[in-house]
Amino acid sequence: MYGVNSMNEKATTQELWGKLFTMRSVEEYLDKTGESRFPLFSEYITALCDAKGENEESVIKRGNIESSYGHRLFKGTRNPSRDTVIQLAFGLELDSAGAQQLLKVARVTALHPRVKRDAVIAYCLYHHKDFMETQELLYKNNLPTIGGGRSE
Amino acid sequence: MNDDILKEILSAYDDADYPEEFSSKYDIMECLSDQNGILTFLVQDHEGTRYVAKCFEKQFPEKAVGNGILTELSHKGLPKYIASYENDEMTVTVREYIEGKSLDRYASEQDISQQETVDICMQLCDILAFLHHRDKPVIHRDIKPQNIIVRSDGSIALIDFDIAREYSNGNDTDTVFFGTRNYAPPEQYGFSQTDARTDIYSLGILLRFLLTGSTKENSSIKVYRPLENIIKKCTGFSPKDRFSDVRQVKKALEKANPKVQKIRAAVIAAAAVAGIVLLIFAGIKIYRHVTDSPFSEDKIPAYITDEEQTREAVKYMKNKYDTDIFNDDTSIADVGDLRRAMIELYGLDRDYVYGINEDMPQENDAYFLPWGWDDKQTLDKEIAVYAAVKVHDPSVVADWSSLKDDNGYYPGVRVAVAFAEEKGILTGINRPGDITLGDMAIILANTDRVFENR
Repeated sequence: MYGVNSMNEKATTQELWGKLFTMRSVEEYLDKTGESRFPLFSEYITALCDAKGENEESVIKRGNIESSYGHRLFKGTRNPSRDTVIQLAFGLELDSAGAQQLLKVARVTALHPRVKRDAVIAYCLYHHKDFMETQELLYKNNLPTIGGGRSE
Repeated sequence: MNDDILKEILSAYDDADYPEEFSSKYDIMECLSDQNGILTFLVQDHEGTRYVAKCFEKQFPEKAVGNGILTELSHKGLPKYIASYENDEMTVTVREYIEGKSLDRYASEQDISQQETVDICMQLCDILAFLHHRDKPVIHRDIKPQNIIVRSDGSIALIDFDIAREYSNGNDTDTVFFGTRNYAPPEQYGFSQTDARTDIYSLGILLRFLLTGSTKENSSIKVYRPLENIIKKCTGFSPKDRFSDVRQVKKALEKANPKVQKIRAAVIAAAAVAGIVLLIFAGIKIYRHVTDSPFSEDKIPAYITDEEQTREAVKYMKNKYDTDIFNDDTSIADVGDLRRAMIELYGLDRDYVYGINEDMPQENDAYFLPWGWDDKQTLDKEIAVYAAVKVHDPSVVADWSSLKDDNGYYPGVRVAVAFAEEKGILTGINRPGDITLGDMAIILANTDRVFENR
């Protein structure tokens, strides 16, 4: 759609990708908390929430998650889908590396450079765009929006 | 907002890389794996239904070895083939996405009971039997928990045929190593060509992993012995030491099934109670009968084969016959072991032992084991008893009828088992069906003693 790419352009994009898809290790979190086992998702988001000094409600709201469902995620009585984890990443205002870590703790697939939709999401997280801006960019690029059907 | 950078990033994604029809039908949602040069995506059609798409670049045709295989296979334990798309650079194959959890995650999130482990492995046996018993057998070659999906109803499916291949005679070795190290048998490192027994090896490792949490043998974790024996027989270094057919593995699992064993234990307990009641009513007669048996009078059959008794029987056989047949007393005995014992220990004629009654598989004076089994078949308790009794006194099991009875056994075998039960020959052998070499030693030693006392 943007024509044939030269090798040079590809190299620059590679660099950008490098930044967008970096994963912060979960060990970093474990070191900080002194825990030795892989954290449960609910524990992990609660800890992130506490570290930010925020309450659950505002995180849930910012991630555009239905309220009662959101609280169940914090309680650990529901397992999130991958899109919901991404919504929580926006809610917690994580950068792309933080979102990758969150996806790992939730045991769902990471944002991947070979997936165009993931690239837009990683870009938006990296540049601290909010959830609605991200949805708009996905929609504009004819990519499925987060947590919903496909944008047409 | 200034999103030039984003434009630049997106420019790297050219939809024309993928076949046009594929791009127009599906959105790529997640990258499930990027391995061996094959990209696997979770995709979604416009109705929101999810599928798995595998992308093979045409410049590396050897990468697509497993690709054609699943298109023609239809089984509820395998992802359904949907369609293929291609352009000049790429072939994309779309298959059913199986909702569920991978077995490694499933196992890490809850304790899987021994019962469930056996159920899962038996289901896997069915899927593998379907693959192995085709005209052109398909060998999966990468059986591991990550490639097994557990659906919410407990049924399983086997995925990822990237490195599967159709078995062909003539290739002596596999030249390229694929597979997953802990689960791959020696021949997959190039010792010889992989066949069905490659998958059987991995199945054994999987069974060990589900029972112990580790793919490596760990002597500090006790595995229920009948299952341990199955693991051993699945994972022999040389393919010829393993089960040759996954259906045998299923049969062995069925017999080792803890549920079946529990029922059996209950039956044995009930029989013991009944025995005590009988003792009260028919004291002296029963006492005489019991003293006729080679066992201490007060011994009620134990649920698990008594290791001491095995050791004692093996010692007895070794002293009497100077034989090494029973050295590895915990491994599953096969028909060949029994034949060898009959020839070497009891001096039977080889032709008599190996002769097959071609006309009709019935008990017959001319043939010792009239059924024509392969030496590598696992040995049933009943057949061991039949041979043990017949070698001492063929008249006990003489030609009763050419027909199978309702229990699926030949009448001579039924008579032998009844005789053995009456004489206490089977005391300590509580495993139904397949037995170990130790069990075989017990049966032979006990039968010897019964006939010595006669």
